[in-house]
Amino acid sequence: MSKLPIKCPSCEQHLNVSQLSCLHCDTLIAGSYPLPKLMQLPQEDQDFILQFVLHSGSLKKMALQMEISYPTMRNKLDDIIEKLQPKL
Amino acid sequence: MKTILFNPFKKYQENTLLIVGVLATFIGSFTAYSFYARFDGAIDLHFTSEINLWQPFIDNFINIASVFIVLFLLSKYQNKKTRAVDILNAVLISRIPYYLLPLLNINNTISGATEQMMTIAGDTININIEAIPMNALIIISLFALISFLALVWFIILLFNGYKIASNAKGNKQILFFALALILGEIITKAIILSIPY
Repeated sequence: MSKLPIKCPSCEQHLNVSQLSCLHCDTLIAGSYPLPKLMQLPQEDQDFILQFVLHSGSLKKMALQMEISYPTMRNKLDDIIEKLQPKL
Repeated sequence: MKTILFNPFKKYQENTLLIVGVLATFIGSFTAYSFYARFDGAIDLHFTSEINLWQPFIDNFINIASVFIVLFLLSKYQNKKTRAVDILNAVLISRIPYYLLPLLNINNTISGATEQMMTIAGDTININIEAIPMNALIIISLFALISFLALVWFIILLFNGYKIASNAKGNKQILFFALALILGEIITKAIILSIPY
């Protein structure tokens, strides 16, 4: 499956969705929709959040399963939180 | 391999690191006693002619406690989520390279070479270069080189442990870390020199 680009390769700004289509009836919707906050994160961060939810929010369990130390996991989560927080 | 040697804090859980760190401290202290070495400072090691079993143990306790307190306060100031166990593990594990150094004094090799050199260096007015024993010079130079490598390894381990424990980022952190380590050394030295044991 091809990867959804989230940043403009030319100016590095966030991309908007300008076209959506229904695969069943070929309906086409055009407009300018910003990507949801979570989708604006790099794929690696999105995978981390998915794993976090699947582990019921337990960083300890995640750390044990992924064979990474707990503080490394917590730092990763803190970095994602920082990215998601609105810039003042 | 690189992770195990320089950044085990990234991969291993706190319990594993704590057990290894405590065991290494006991083994390292006993090795120091066996080979007449004193850890008389957070980044110091000296060989002595007389030693009691408890001395290297107390040396290490003071070294670990001083550096731990300074680094923990710095980490807490930077990141409130920092856990004490992670900083303690960084301090315990980072000292392992130092625990290997006393082994170099097998059969009093280093002490003997130092004594030989000191005899010549004692007469500062008439130093006879030809009288300097080559063997002693090579032994001391090699020991100095290995000690320097152990110091670098110690600093890398301690910094990586501190960085992971506190999620420290940026060049400013390196400066804070260096200042904390110097402060730890000063505190340790002051305690060790002021308490006779």
